[in-house]
Amino acid sequence: MDKRNKRAALQLAAARVLVYAVIIFLCFLCLFFFVMLFVNSSRTNNQLQRGFTLIPGGHFFFNMKNAFTDSSIQIPRGMINSFIVAAGAAVCTTYFSALTAYGLYVYNFRLKKIAYTFIIAVMMIPTQVSAVGFVQLAYKYGLNNKLWVLIVPSIAAPAVFFYMYQYLKATLPIDIVEASRIDGSSEFATFNRIVLPIMKPAMAVQMIFSFVAAWNNYFLPALLLTKAEKKTVPIMIAQLRSADYSKFDMGKVYMLILLAILPVIVVYVFLSKSIIKGVTSGSVKG
Amino acid sequence: MKNNKTQSKSVSYAKWGYVFILPFFLVYFVFTFYPQVLTIYNSFFENYRDGLTQVGPNFVGLDNYKALLTPSNEGTIDIIKYFGNTIIMWIMGAVPQFVFALLLAVFFTNTRLNIKGQRIMKTVIYLPNLIMASAFSMLFYTLFSNVGPIKPLLVHMGILDKSFDFFFVTLSVRSLVALLNFLMWFGNTTILLMAGIQSIDESLFESARIDGASSTRVFFNITMPLLKPIFIYTFITSMIGGLQMFDVPTVLTNAKGTPDRTVMTVIMYLNNYLGGSNNYGMAGAISVILFIVTGILSLIVFKTLDRDRD
Amino acid sequence: MAEVRLKDVMKIYPPVDTKKHNVKHLEVTEKGVVAVQQFNIDIQDKEFIVLVGPSGCGKTTTLRMIAGLEEISEGELYIDGELMNAVAPKDRDIAMVFQSYALYPHMTVFDNMAYSLKIKHVPKDEIKRRVEEAAEILDITKYLQRKPKALSGGQRQRVAIGRAIVRNPKVLLMDEPLSNLDAKLRNQMRAELLKLQNRIQTTIVYVTHDQVEAMTLGDRIVVMKDAYIQQIGTPQEVFNHPANTFVAGFIGTPQMNFFEGELLREGNDYSVKYKDYVVKLSENKAKRLAENHVESQSITFGVRPDQMRVGEEGLTAVVEVSEMMGTSSHLHTKIDGQDVIVIVPTNGDDASEMEEIKVSFSGKMVHVFSKEDGRNLEFSV
Repeated sequence: MDKRNKRAALQLAAARVLVYAVIIFLCFLCLFFFVMLFVNSSRTNNQLQRGFTLIPGGHFFFNMKNAFTDSSIQIPRGMINSFIVAAGAAVCTTYFSALTAYGLYVYNFRLKKIAYTFIIAVMMIPTQVSAVGFVQLAYKYGLNNKLWVLIVPSIAAPAVFFYMYQYLKATLPIDIVEASRIDGSSEFATFNRIVLPIMKPAMAVQMIFSFVAAWNNYFLPALLLTKAEKKTVPIMIAQLRSADYSKFDMGKVYMLILLAILPVIVVYVFLSKSIIKGVTSGSVKG
Repeated sequence: MKNNKTQSKSVSYAKWGYVFILPFFLVYFVFTFYPQVLTIYNSFFENYRDGLTQVGPNFVGLDNYKALLTPSNEGTIDIIKYFGNTIIMWIMGAVPQFVFALLLAVFFTNTRLNIKGQRIMKTVIYLPNLIMASAFSMLFYTLFSNVGPIKPLLVHMGILDKSFDFFFVTLSVRSLVALLNFLMWFGNTTILLMAGIQSIDESLFESARIDGASSTRVFFNITMPLLKPIFIYTFITSMIGGLQMFDVPTVLTNAKGTPDRTVMTVIMYLNNYLGGSNNYGMAGAISVILFIVTGILSLIVFKTLDRDRD
Repeated sequence: MAEVRLKDVMKIYPPVDTKKHNVKHLEVTEKGVVAVQQFNIDIQDKEFIVLVGPSGCGKTTTLRMIAGLEEISEGELYIDGELMNAVAPKDRDIAMVFQSYALYPHMTVFDNMAYSLKIKHVPKDEIKRRVEEAAEILDITKYLQRKPKALSGGQRQRVAIGRAIVRNPKVLLMDEPLSNLDAKLRNQMRAELLKLQNRIQTTIVYVTHDQVEAMTLGDRIVVMKDAYIQQIGTPQEVFNHPANTFVAGFIGTPQMNFFEGELLREGNDYSVKYKDYVVKLSENKAKRLAENHVESQSITFGVRPDQMRVGEEGLTAVVEVSEMMGTSSHLHTKIDGQDVIVIVPTNGDDASEMEEIKVSFSGKMVHVFSKEDGRNLEFSV
């Protein structure tokens, strides 16, 4: 009897070892390239030429200074532009999605059902379908190279709306809205002063996701932003790829890549818990 | 009656509903719906720039579609080839993505295995999903190109020949694209599938185990059938995303789809028409074809979800 | 000073909305489902009015129409003589306590109570004074800096009341404010509400489904059923002279016992007959019946359980269950297969189960109702 128990315990232990090995291998794969990026961004071109190592080279700030002062790729300008677009899109998309969700959740009006069904129906249409017409219109009205053209469309984000709607349904009793009305609040004041604070967790999660999505977005900005001083970071990274490689200081190249992803990594380090929670709550609906 | 406190005729709040949803619909129609219609409209017109001269717009009926679907001199139909490239590269990434995601989701939720440090593991595997695809691809390019550290290392170890170039071989470029997509998405899929497994009644697993089912049996007889709706949902979402593959192959191949356009995807093809010559006609036609393919897949999603509801 | 007057007020839900409501018992016109039928009442200043009835009777809808949360479909609402139909809730000078309390979860108790005053731009020190005064009355001063989440049910309820009274509203509306409390707390709060009304001296309209609350709190009670007002009156009137079988059955616990019997008239004398048992009605009752020209007929008559006596003669009842309630016992009996409850004082020898007893009642305590429509024959023509 003892033997059986021992064998089972042994089997479990073996399974555990195997499982941990698989998980650790995948984690390693996920981190390896970023570790290399960190290491390489701290090494000079000469050091890099000497080959592969995991020991930092100690020239992190030297490379950063070079990256910031590069004349062909104006990364500070790009980061500012990216930040404007990403922050603008994040604020617009969360505020107006919440507003729309609230409008459809709290009020009863004739077109309510149609409006809701419409939004859910268009949720699946890929963004690329509107891209051709969008680019054409932007050029027709001279709106290319305008950052706001990339911000305003995020007001209408069906998926974020859906998330906000689900959240409202779960957390906001209509009584609270009515109590606020009786307390003398206007409809907009009720939304801004009572409902938004209640929706804070949902707003935060969606703000992070839309910020990251806008920060990383390449396809549409690349078609619209052609002036050097309007370019966002992903465009500059792609530009780096098309540049003549042999002339490049590789330390600077790694640094530029690092700068492109660093803001998101910093945000992630602080907010990973709520971000991971947000992944599931947004997509799996019971 | 002195009744000047409010102008409204009644205390009905219906009008506020319209006020609150107005910005969304206004923006949607101007910035999304109208461009969508315009895209489709464009696909029936000849409309592009040739150097400094603007050609069209002239109505050409289905000519753009015919042009897209006519074999070239070499006998291949470009758009079919690019759909093939896209799908092959998507599958190369999606297979390991779903295999590992399923494995990890089962590992993490198995109470007997009782995996420690789950939070940090999930944090690590989800990280690549947030990384800028173009920057991640650029990093891969620098690491795997001739000036990068990986090739000399592999040559030194005797695995690769000195003349080998990662970016001159179809299989290796496609593999790099697939590896990137795999790394970027398997964490996301793991977390979604985990949530799916956790939503299954725990007592089902327990009773199956008491009934004498092995772990593999539990997986195939309990976990998979009950996870199916969510699994199919994530799978089709991944497929739709895969069809729109753009950033990674663009940066890796400098928008050329090299070698020999074997890494060119549908959206890269569309981008070539849109970016260079502002060929709204052809770009529109590609969009419509892509939309139809996506639409058919979306229909499959709804059908599957519907079937599962019964 | 605030009088509230409802004149022929009706609520009609368009057919689209009817799925949401349980409308089986309600009248459906071509406009939709009528949730409240011609509601007429003149509420005096400082009066405590209780709307009571089973769920779905329209009492909450009526309250919400007074609040302005629900449109008035037909009829008129006046507060202090001013027509209010189209006035927004914020301009009606009313306050409301919700069944769920509806406290703002992200604000402290102080901010919850101060919110309406802030909107009205009341000066800061004035806000502080009024909130603290209300907190004092409700004994919640020490919780002012807490969030609602950190409070017990009873404390939240006080905050909800506090939020309503800081404004010194003309009319205070309460929608089942005690229904989420446990029994003990509910009794305690009921007493406190009475004290509160004496202190704040404001008109109160209070909705409940609990007839005990209605009887103890109301200056007048409005009994409603299926969108119609059944009776308006003081607790005494409603209890002693119920307008119909519904009110008679709804008010008072345990429920009034009803019998299908005969009314016999001989000159100006009346008596009721059930099987072989005949009881002569009191002079007062006979006089009122005579004034209404009520003739001999089949009737439904009712006797409250505490007015039934156990003795040597009367109807034969079989005791099925005896519930010891403390000073009295409730005997659940059957008379000719019909359930009848009899309350008897508790003494040493309680009736045992299946024992046969004789029950009787006096002619002073019989309520006579029309067999056709259930109306009280003494008080209606």
